[in-house]
Amino acid sequence: MRLIFFYLGKLFTIIKNEVLVLPSRVAVGLFFLFMLLLPLFTKDIYLLRIFTLTSIFAIFAASWDLLSGFTGQMNFGHALFFGVGAYGAALLNLHASIPPWASVPLGALCAVLAGLIIGIPCLRLRGTYLALTTLAFPIILTGLIFAFPSFTGGELGISGIVRLTQSRVGDYYTVAVLMLGLCTVMWKITDSNIGIIFHAIREDEVAVRASGVNTTRYKLLAFSLSGFFAGISGGLYAHFMRIAGPSTLDLFLSFSVVIYAIFGGVVTIYGPVGAVFVLFPLLEFLRVVQNYRTLMFAVVVLLILLYMPDGLFAWLRDKIEKECPRCKIRNIATRHTCRVCTAPLD
Amino acid sequence: MNLIINIIIGGLISGSTFALLAIGFSLIFGVARIVNFAHTAFYMLAAYCIYVAAQLMGLHPIWGMLAAIVLVALLGMISYKALINPIREHEGAVLIATIALAMIFQEVMSLIFTGTYLSVPALIGGYFKLLGVKVFYQQLLTFCAALLVMVVLWVLLMKTKLGLAIRSTAQDREVANLMGINEARVAMMTMGLSVGLAAFTGAIVVPLTVLEPQMWGGPLVMMMAVVVLGGLGSIKGSFIAAYILGFAEALVVFLAPMGAYLKGSVALSIMILVLLIRPEGLFGVYFEEER
Amino acid sequence: MNKLGKGMIISVIVFLFAMSPWAVVSAQEIKIGVIGPMKFVQGIGQWNGATMAAEEINAKGGIQVGNKKMKIKLVQADSNEFLNVTDATNAMERLMTQDKVDLVVGGFRSEAVLAMQDIAMDHKKIFIGIGAAHPELCERVAKNYNTYKYWFRGSPFNSTYLVRTAFIHLGTVGAVMKQSLNIPMIKVAIVMEKAMWADPMIPAAQGAIPKMGMEIAGVWRPSPVATDVTAELSAIQSSGAQIIFEIFSSSVGIPFSRQAGELKIPAFQVGINVEAQKEGFWQATQGMGNYVMTSDTYARGVEYNELTKPFVDGYIKRFREVPTYTADTYTAIVYGLAPVIEQAGTLDSDKLVSILEERVYKIPAGTVKYMKNAEGKPLHDLTWGPGFTTGIATQWQDGKIMGVWPYKWKLTPESPEVTYKGVVPIKLPPWMIEKYKK
Repeated sequence: MRLIFFYLGKLFTIIKNEVLVLPSRVAVGLFFLFMLLLPLFTKDIYLLRIFTLTSIFAIFAASWDLLSGFTGQMNFGHALFFGVGAYGAALLNLHASIPPWASVPLGALCAVLAGLIIGIPCLRLRGTYLALTTLAFPIILTGLIFAFPSFTGGELGISGIVRLTQSRVGDYYTVAVLMLGLCTVMWKITDSNIGIIFHAIREDEVAVRASGVNTTRYKLLAFSLSGFFAGISGGLYAHFMRIAGPSTLDLFLSFSVVIYAIFGGVVTIYGPVGAVFVLFPLLEFLRVVQNYRTLMFAVVVLLILLYMPDGLFAWLRDKIEKECPRCKIRNIATRHTCRVCTAPLD
Repeated sequence: MNLIINIIIGGLISGSTFALLAIGFSLIFGVARIVNFAHTAFYMLAAYCIYVAAQLMGLHPIWGMLAAIVLVALLGMISYKALINPIREHEGAVLIATIALAMIFQEVMSLIFTGTYLSVPALIGGYFKLLGVKVFYQQLLTFCAALLVMVVLWVLLMKTKLGLAIRSTAQDREVANLMGINEARVAMMTMGLSVGLAAFTGAIVVPLTVLEPQMWGGPLVMMMAVVVLGGLGSIKGSFIAAYILGFAEALVVFLAPMGAYLKGSVALSIMILVLLIRPEGLFGVYFEEER
Repeated sequence: MNKLGKGMIISVIVFLFAMSPWAVVSAQEIKIGVIGPMKFVQGIGQWNGATMAAEEINAKGGIQVGNKKMKIKLVQADSNEFLNVTDATNAMERLMTQDKVDLVVGGFRSEAVLAMQDIAMDHKKIFIGIGAAHPELCERVAKNYNTYKYWFRGSPFNSTYLVRTAFIHLGTVGAVMKQSLNIPMIKVAIVMEKAMWADPMIPAAQGAIPKMGMEIAGVWRPSPVATDVTAELSAIQSSGAQIIFEIFSSSVGIPFSRQAGELKIPAFQVGINVEAQKEGFWQATQGMGNYVMTSDTYARGVEYNELTKPFVDGYIKRFREVPTYTADTYTAIVYGLAPVIEQAGTLDSDKLVSILEERVYKIPAGTVKYMKNAEGKPLHDLTWGPGFTTGIATQWQDGKIMGVWPYKWKLTPESPEVTYKGVVPIKLPPWMIEKYKK
């Protein structure tokens, strides 16, 4: 009994001293609560559908950030991973009748393979060359899908896949919990030593290599990790929509993931996730003005970027939090002295 | 024999189209390091301009062409000044801004003209026979225009003061600035030039094809492939790469008619193969570990 | 994420809730969802047809359901399916749960329709497909009747029959050319866009063409969105083909016909060219698409039966253009759904399905009878053949779309001749007559 109280007390202290002191952490906590409690307030199928899809794309956008944001390896063909994940899961489910809990990760492994296949040749390229070359891969794969319609279903795609779960609420929880879990994992990865090396590669690859790190290996690791997470989102998408078609390899999809990530702010993981949760429902909401939907979407993106070129969430975080000039610890913007070292802020 | 002539003519013609688009794209990348995804969207705008002038107002297409080039170049300069210049330091933001710009153009056009397929009249109608192969005058025009644009650009870049400014900015922006070149203005002029070139391409290529608000997607990918293959920022490279990919497409169509739809994929595969051997493209400058 | 972002999300949700018409479900209205790519010709056709149907029925006071008259209320949903399939499914789900429609018509791109079909079936709502031709859509009904029985094909008939009629048109043109130009062995170039639905047609064409007494000059497969096909055209001309058998459902039909006409390729274009069915084709090809012949559904002055003329004329009067097959949302509502609802006296989907699938009824484009497959299971697909739906063939003759088939057509040598009212003979391009006439 006392042990329980001890740990409860400890938890309380952690929440009080580590979470409540920073608005961004409070927001993340609220976000978790919101995602987990949403079905208690509404069972509306349409709303749950939107949030399920939003969560799927949130994983996808975060995986782009893990690769392109952190290591700076601009990938403009990220739909490749999504599509391979979707097709992989769909084919495995349809032909080998593997249930979703196994077909999704296996599909993601296919995406990892795809990540390695394109990662190895692309290691020699950098910057814009890499961006424009990766753009080509999903297009080539689409060509192949059209060339072997008996296996891939051609333009019709692969349909008749098993549902993720039997109910919409079940779908929602599966995807939402996975999204929260996977995004936390990605965030943890970027916070670990590996993540620091990724970040360093983005800033100065030569310096990293000079300090004895095999950057090639780390870049390949980034490709595979990112491919895995994107593949999971692709597999979830296939099982949720119950169809994996060529639209999962669309140029438009590759572009939209870049839009999400840069809109929210790269090198953060939470930025792209937040951006998807703003932009995807926004696009749905704009059905009110059906004809001007895409136009308004583009205008919003353009205007926000014009005023917050570092991304919406990076900008917001800067507004509500300040970094201590001495100990580099973040503080709420209303404080005048640092909460740790009491150095005067600003 | 007939086959070979066919392939040569087909390759030269589609190569010229790619070359015209790619040169404009290369130019602005070289000077301002902007990857302008909206490049072909400007080309689409030009096509609609000509449609309005020639089909709706009943003017001669040449007036539509001139109006299109002037208006689109102006629009390009305005959007550069208002939307791209303020965020130029943020590479990612610029990319997205150009994509958003292209989407806006596409949506505005589809609100005005709906998604219906439209067409514009050719500047010179009809065709002639060359060694037994029928060739449109318009295609000949495209080919000549590609060569002419090359020459004009060369003169502009090599013999004029503006050209000198453009070249020095492309080489080293900061030093150029220190030498008293108004770098921001050079970038804006180049943007106008590049977009004007896109409009010009639209004007001479579109009479052979179909107008629709989504028409910028297809050429965009091929143009990127050309530019990357030739080496980013290298105009000579873009020119040569355009013909390489043009010939690749023609070869696919004539030697594997069942696989004509694969011509795009084949061209892209060639680009990737070349990049594996030469990561900086054919004539690109290798940014040695740019820091 | 932080508070402000959170606030934005919450306000978006609040808006979404506010927008959803919770309590305004009126008992006096039948809500019909019209889903399609509304920014494109196909979606506009679907919406126009449905609008006309609703106006017509509402002018008569509505549909008699049980003991009360109910008016039709249309709900438009832009599926944006050409660009984004996810969007299409969201639009469908919105129709089902927010707008609470009773019936849905529309859909065009096969991949998107498959996904939308699943959603409509989940909600057990009747979905009449207007636009997608893939047989798979109906085979699902036979495979899993209890789930997919709410799906019906409204238009066009499935792609197997589309091909079959296209071959008949090819044979007709071949006979005309043999007779008037005296060509002993006609060479046919097969040009089909690279699309799934066209794939099985290649072996079919390779098998059928020699049987029709013609020779194959080659097979070309341009991309559906190709804009420059001069290379293909040069190759076709050097192959010496006299007929081009074309299958185009996408934009490639325009540059192909325009460039072929401009280059005066001495070969007659017949087959399926969806773009050539539209009146904008003449402008889109700058008049170069003259003499192109294609399978079609409606044309000015061509009558299948007594229902055709009022529909086509009414549509032209209302929208200033000839209806294409996506405007068959009209047919689906006026001749398919309305009488069935009146007969059933309810909007209950299961009851409607059981009546609709057994019903045989006249529509402006023939007579509808829903097929059963070889094992006798219902397919909810349209029966093809004389007396049912056959479609027509039209040809561009100097700026006008003229019906040219069926003109004294016999399905088998024993069957009676079929000629629809208003059909005229096929015209050959003058440059072909000049080249081949001796």
